[in-house]
Order: sequence, then structure tokens, then C-alpha cells
Amino acid sequence: MEKQNPNRPEVPLTALKPGESGIVTVIRGGPARHGRRRHGRFHGSLSHGITKDVVFEKRLMDMGLTPGTKVTVVRVAPFHGPFEIFVRGSRLALGRGMAERIFVEIET
Amino acid sequence: MTEKKLLIALAGNANVGKSVIFNHLTGLHQHIGNWPGKTVERAEGTLYFKGYTIDIVDLPGIYSLSTYSLEELVSRKYIAVERPDMVINVIDASVLERNLFFTLQLMELETPMVIALNQMDIAKSKGVQVNIKKLEHLLGVPVMPTVAVKGVGIDKLLEKAIETVEKKQARKKPQVTYGEEVEQKIGKLMEKLENIQIVYPRRYVAIKLLEGDEDIEREIKRVNPEILAVAKELAGEIECIHGHCCSTVMTSERYEAAGCIARASQQLVSPIKPTRVERLHNFTTHRVTGYLTLILSLLLIFYSIFTFGDYTSTLLSDLLYGLEPFFTSVFGTGLIGAIVWGGIMEGLIAGVTVVLPYIVPFYLILYFLENSGYLSRIAFLMDNFMHKIGLHGKAFIPMMLGFGCNVPACLGCRIMETQRERLLAAFAVTLVPCAATTVIILGLVGNYLGVQWALALYLFNFLIIFVLGRIAFKVVPGEPTALMMEMHDYRWPHMKTILKETWFRVAEFIKIAFPLIIVGSLALKIADVAGLLQPIASVLSPVTVVWLGLPAITGITLIFGVLRKELSLVMLAALLGTTNFAVVLTPVQMIVFTLVAMLYIPCIATIAALVRSFGWKKSLYITVFEIVFAILVGGIALRLLSLVM
Repeated sequence: MEKQNPNRPEVPLTALKPGESGIVTVIRGGPARHGRRRHGRFHGSLSHGITKDVVFEKRLMDMGLTPGTKVTVVRVAPFHGPFEIFVRGSRLALGRGMAERIFVEIET
Repeated sequence: MTEKKLLIALAGNANVGKSVIFNHLTGLHQHIGNWPGKTVERAEGTLYFKGYTIDIVDLPGIYSLSTYSLEELVSRKYIAVERPDMVINVIDASVLERNLFFTLQLMELETPMVIALNQMDIAKSKGVQVNIKKLEHLLGVPVMPTVAVKGVGIDKLLEKAIETVEKKQARKKPQVTYGEEVEQKIGKLMEKLENIQIVYPRRYVAIKLLEGDEDIEREIKRVNPEILAVAKELAGEIECIHGHCCSTVMTSERYEAAGCIARASQQLVSPIKPTRVERLHNFTTHRVTGYLTLILSLLLIFYSIFTFGDYTSTLLSDLLYGLEPFFTSVFGTGLIGAIVWGGIMEGLIAGVTVVLPYIVPFYLILYFLENSGYLSRIAFLMDNFMHKIGLHGKAFIPMMLGFGCNVPACLGCRIMETQRERLLAAFAVTLVPCAATTVIILGLVGNYLGVQWALALYLFNFLIIFVLGRIAFKVVPGEPTALMMEMHDYRWPHMKTILKETWFRVAEFIKIAFPLIIVGSLALKIADVAGLLQPIASVLSPVTVVWLGLPAITGITLIFGVLRKELSLVMLAALLGTTNFAVVLTPVQMIVFTLVAMLYIPCIATIAALVRSFGWKKSLYITVFEIVFAILVGGIALRLLSLVM
């Protein structure tokens, strides 16, 4: 389902321009952005110590961003804002921090 | 004939019209509470239909049945443990694939179900035609088309649900067939689970164990930890084959199945061209027109609410104060009269003149914006700004509410995903100048020193929100979450649903705020009658007079402000014996007083709302911090302003 194509490099979703599409390859539970501290567990709804990265990976999956899925960037809000993407027939708003973790192969 | 009872649960994604269907079904026979011990809301209602007494539970709008959010966990447990006779799965015909992903998970729970294929009209206008027979066939579940906002198909849906319960027809199962290697592992695990007693279906447990679902893992660990080890091993094998973690593989396959069913049962009839709804979306999220629309709509909303609120508030309070002679005639002007009128009634009036003129219109507009879809666009546009204080776009919504009243704003913080973010948002919200604060700012500084000073105070307040919000975000442990939400198509909301949602919120407000306002007002009145106010003012004078440079009497008025912030101004007029503040206060004193009143404490009702969401301890921290902070800022402002004015 998800074969790596050497001719089409993986890029984060944030590298796509509005109107461009890509195929999701992987979601990285990347390092904290902008050098923010990362101590402490995920607070709140998720009591049992699942780390946050796993949680967000799963949430993205549940929203349909599974490997092999086509994603189209519709628009990017100004001032380094969030992404509007089109995936599986619906429109999602994704914060930049989230979009940075989604890696795609650019579709030509 | 014995009473026939049924328990029906409504389940589905957010924004699919579930609550509209719920309202159609239950009318006013509904009750909104919390799930036991959880901060998740639970809406219940009752209806009578064909000799049945039917209890309906509206489960939270969710996208999945994993356990990564409380809403999901609550819903899953409810279906598995309470075993409703029927689950009505409401799905959005215009976004079939995503909705079916959830449907497939419900089916794995092996619950009796009927599907309400809602928003058929929107799907049609988007050029999506769904072949209902085919969908029914592919899912093996009855599918009923509905247009909930117009009430179309609701009765038939209910009839079908009852018919399905009566027939007790077994569904074909299993529903999602995973890849061969996955199925094989599921089979192996199911054998192991043969003699295990658990509320969930066996196949479901096997699937969830492979996915590493912590909740199920815990339950199995209690009975037989060995199985857990086997599951881990099997999951590892799948990981080896696919190069992705096992739950990813299974989610993918489930989505593939949903996609297949969606594609096979829907037909795209017209070429996808931008519809009116689409154009509106583009306009309202555009980098220029989007922000312009946002600013204009916010200005319009606040202007109309404040105009309306001010007018009706005055009207109402005149009307209610007209009752005073009646009360004095009944209770006399003595001690009892003073306590009944000045304590209880004035507290009540204070509450009523906030709720009707301000809270009701605010909620109406809020729910209109939410149901139409504009709120999610606002969150989208404001995301980057909210990130400056470590929150994401959704947090702008309670902040916006806060300008009207901090109480609904604090309660509104539950739209944030994590408890940490709810707390940070609520903290920021308590610093937002509400309608009552605006009365003070405009009534004192705006009136006597000019609008530019009032604006300066507002700007200063925003600066404080920014700085304190940022500090709080650094201090409170944990990481920021990023925005992730669906932006559904714009649609005309269902007015009755909006009215009902408003009604329930207002009722909630009354329940939280009124008792405290009345008790507080009573306590102050008693202190007044007992002659305690002057001593209190002198006790506070080191702060008010020495540090803040204000008349000693402000100590009392600021205490009254806890009940309702603008009371501090009203009381100031009463105690100083004049409404011309220019005679009794210097310009610097006006600014200092306003600053302190603006920042010093969330009012008593806000504190109650905080307690409800975060418990006593955190609410106390916030309150104490804000009092100290306000006094600090006021004192510094006095010293700085004295240099220039």
C-alpha cells in the first residue's frame, strides 16, 4: 500500500503550496517544535500515560490521514497560520505543528 | 399492558445534525447533565411512540471509538456496558467516507443499529447522490434518509428503529474484513479469548488488543496477562509485514473499507464546481476578506449586543426596582425589610439584568455561528494569534464570549481538548474585560477622561492577557496541542435547536451564578446593616489609600464589585453621594480605580464557573493571583501616572 518511491522524495505537508497534493507516507511524532520544553505527560482527557505523540498520530489517523491517503492543501492562513486541507471528501483545519509531522510524497 | 421501554442512543461524528435529530425526537423532554464523574456532557430525553416509552441518549459527537479522548471512551463504554436496545448512527451523506469509518467501528461493537443518512439535501447540492439500497446492502444495516433541519424522515427513522428492535434481526457479521494476515491474528486471539468474560464482543477485544488499546489491555491484564503478551507479539508480526505500527495498519484498512463502501454507494452527478457555500467559505477564510469579515462581524455582534443589553438592562432594572415600594409595604423598612429587599431582591435583580439582556442574546448568536459553521472558520483564522499564548484557534471562541460575560466563557473552555488547555484558556478568559467591566471603563474613564484613555486601557488589558497568557503557558507543565478540526460546509442552522441549546445554557448559568450572587448580596447587606462596612474600609485602607491612592470608601465598592463588577461603580456613586465623579476623584484615581476593577478578580459567578470546571484549588489560585496582580498594577500605575499627569 505504501511503497517508497525514490524519485518522489518525502516532504512534510507544510512544504506543499495551496492547490498541491501529496500521498501520506508517515506521521512522525517529531521532536518538540521551537525548542519547547517537553516534560510532563499528556494532561487531561487521556489519563493513562500514553505519550502525546502517539495520541496525535492516532487522532490524525482517525481523521483519515492514514498512509497512502491523498491530501490536498487548499489554503494556508497568513502569518504562519494553520493549513486547510482536503482529505477523504472533507475539509480539515490543521495547525502548523500538526501539519509539520505529516510526511507526504508530492503527486505530480 | 405492561409498559414497553426502549433505550436508544444517538451516535455519530460532530456536526452531522445529531442534536437536531435529538431535538426532533425529544422535544422539551430533555435533560442535560454530565456523565458520572466526567466533564463530558450527557443529553438525555424521553419520548412516547407507538406505546413505547423511549429514552434517548445523545452521545458526544466523535470521529472514532478509540480511547484517546474522554468523549470517545464514554461513548464506547456506554454502548458496551449499558447496552442500549438500539444505536441510531447519524451520518452526513455529504461526507460519507469519514462518517462510515465511524459506522464500521460501531458495527464492530456488534450493537443493534439503524443508520440515519442525514443532510441528504446538502449532499444533493454538492452533487453527491447516495444509493440507499446499495449502502444498506453493503453495510447490512437499515439506512433511512433524513433531512433533520426540515424534520424530514424522522418518524420513519424511529419506526424503522423500533421495527428493527422488535424483529431482533441478527446482523451479518463480521463487518470489516481486514487483510488476510490481520484476520489470521484476530482469529488466533479470539481463540485465546474463548473463556474470558468481558463486556465487549470477542472479535472487538481481539481487534483492540492488536491496536494496543490501553483501556481493553487493562481489562484483559486483570484476567489473563498472558493474552496481552500474545497480542503484543502478533501485533509485532503485523508491524514487520507492513512497516507501520499495527494500529496504523488497521485504521488504514478500516478507512479503506469505508472508502470502498462510500465509492460503491455514491454517485457524483455534477462536476464539482464551486457552489455558493463554497464561495462563501473561500471568502470568509481568505487572507484579506476573511479577516475583514471577521472584524466586521465581531464589531457588529458586540455593538448590537451591548446596545440591546444596555437598553433592556436599564428597562428591566427600572421595572424591577419599581417593586421596591411593594416590598417595603410588606416587609417594612426595618431590618427584615432591608435584608429581604437589599439582600435577596437586589441580588436577584443583579442576576436578572445580566442574564436576559446579555447572556441570552450572546448564546443565541454563539449557537447560530456554531451551527452555521462560522465558528470553525474563526478558529482557523485566529489560530496563529492564539498560538502566541500557547493555545490554538479554538480558544478564541471562549475569549470572544468573555467580552460578553466571563461565566459562559469559562464554561465554554470545555471545547478545548485537554484539561491543561482548558485551564489556560479559562485563565486568559478571566482577564478579558466583560460587559460589566466595559461599563466601568466607559462610564468612568471614557466619560471623564475621553475615549482615547478608555481605548488605552483596553489595549493595556490585551497586553496583559498576552503577557500573562504567555507566562501561564510556560509555567503550567505540558505541551501545546495544535489545531485539528473539521470545517464542515456552511449551512443554515436549525432555529429550534439553537433556541434549545441557548435555553439549556442559560439554565446552567442561572443554576451556577444565581445562588452565589444572592448569597453574596445578602452577606453584604447584613454586613452593611451590622455596620461592618466602615471597619472593613479602614482595614483595607493601607491598600486602597496608601498603596493605591484611592478614597478609603473604594475598599467597600470593590468588594461589591465581586458580586457584579459594575456594582463597584454604582456603589461608588452611592457612597460618595454623587454621580459626578470628576468632583470626588482625580483623573489618576479614576484610571487606577478602573485598572484595579478591570483586573482584580473574576466576579463571584465566574469563580463559581471556574470551580465547576477546575475545582476549588485552581480557582482559588487564579482568584488570589488576580487580586494581588491588580493591586500591584494599580499601585505602579499610580506612581507612574502621577509623574505625567
